[in-house]
Amino acid sequence: MNLLRFYGDHAREAFGLLGQHLVLVGASTLLAVLIGVPLGVLLTRRPAWRGPVLGLANVFQTIPSLALFGFLIPLPFLGGIGARTAIVALVVYALLPIVRNTYVGISGVDPAVREAGRGMGMTDGQLLTMVEIPLGLGVIFAGVRVATVVGVGTATIAAAIGAGGLGVYIFRGVSTVDDTLILAGALPAAILALIADGLLGLIERRLAR
Amino acid sequence: MTGGLSVSRTVGRLSAVVLALFGGACSHRDRIVVGAKNFTESDFLAELLAQQIERRTGLPVERRLHLGGTYVCHEAITSGKIDLYVEYTGTAYTEILKHPPIADADSVYRADSLEYAKTLGLTWGRPLGFNNTFAITVRRADAEKYGLRTISDVARIAPRLRAGFGYEFLQRADGFGGLARAYGLRFAAPPTAMDLGLTYRALAQGNVDLIAGNSTDGTIQALDLVALEDDRHYFPPYDAAPVMRKELVTRHREVVRALAELAGKLSAAEMRRLNLAADVEHRDIAALAREWLAKNLP
Repeated sequence: MNLLRFYGDHAREAFGLLGQHLVLVGASTLLAVLIGVPLGVLLTRRPAWRGPVLGLANVFQTIPSLALFGFLIPLPFLGGIGARTAIVALVVYALLPIVRNTYVGISGVDPAVREAGRGMGMTDGQLLTMVEIPLGLGVIFAGVRVATVVGVGTATIAAAIGAGGLGVYIFRGVSTVDDTLILAGALPAAILALIADGLLGLIERRLAR
Repeated sequence: MTGGLSVSRTVGRLSAVVLALFGGACSHRDRIVVGAKNFTESDFLAELLAQQIERRTGLPVERRLHLGGTYVCHEAITSGKIDLYVEYTGTAYTEILKHPPIADADSVYRADSLEYAKTLGLTWGRPLGFNNTFAITVRRADAEKYGLRTISDVARIAPRLRAGFGYEFLQRADGFGGLARAYGLRFAAPPTAMDLGLTYRALAQGNVDLIAGNSTDGTIQALDLVALEDDRHYFPPYDAAPVMRKELVTRHREVVRALAELAGKLSAAEMRRLNLAADVEHRDIAALAREWLAKNLP
């Protein structure tokens, strides 16, 4: 009830924050895919790098967001305050599931199929784009799905560094112990995560077929 | 619609359960529970009160430090989950009692004491001796370049500056809205809302040009920043003083007597030094409190 009245009074602001939230999640997931998928592929070609790279991605996940922001503020290009820094942090958090699933998806391709490709005279590049990636796509996409859904929740921390998003309501609510405000940010973020999960799940099932 | 209502009820119930769980230990009544807000100074002051009570009365004291902002501590003490914590007179006056800010320190303290006793069943102890006001803060280089000494000076060049504030300062009645009206502040863009702790770093790195810190913060000195004078006396006084549950006051007069010894003993300069020691030199607050008590109240 309070919540509906709140949205009624703050519709413009709420939609603005929702828009910022979508941009933060979209941009960071896209960047994480652009970095994470090639990195995952690289790991299948250089198995010795697997331990260090996945270990590092794991460590990134454990850095508390405020500490990460503290490190990022003084950095040139990547740092400062605002959306750019928030997106850098969100990419850092999104990398692990994408890199790991890309690696797992491609190394899970049946060796016999790979051999058949080689036997047909495929180059490594052709093998990757025509055999390994198509066959591993379901698993790779599952990683992207996890990264996106987690990202919707994680993006609420962007409000700590002036990047806006639904976290603004959560931060305001926490600083004034106002349950309505906290819910005004948390509830749409939760619904957004469910929608993203459902949609990406549909795509994933198509790819897996 | 009932959906939102029942969700907010569920959250209310959940937070009651959480409070009951972590507050459960203080149902044991001879244990005195000291609370603190979520910043270093509040933690230190809680530790100071705790040690003073322990060494003067021998009663066991439990620490519940870093609880959250003003509202969380207030909820905790009115519901009996903590027995005392250090509050600031102006914060209680504007944020808890919802009065418009006024400048006179004595009137604020008197109004707080009276209304807390009458409506909340809480007792104010005597102020510790320092005023931790909001400090509108800029980099020293800018202060020298533009000749900034007061907030009025900043108002002249505000359109050239970017401001960054914590969420509480942006929401409070005695926060940014009133400040901007009192001084006619117009910044280049609306202030950036961010985590309070990160504002200092953003200022020092040049990502923003003006922030609202606390006047007793050690970081102001450590990062070579300058706090500007509130020349129009917009901010009310924020004298730190212990707030106690009436039950504690009536059952343990010795606790009140022990805390009265601290009255007026802690200056703003001293508090700044202690915050610097804790925040920048990473000294342990319990050790700092022990040393301070040994030196000032042997």
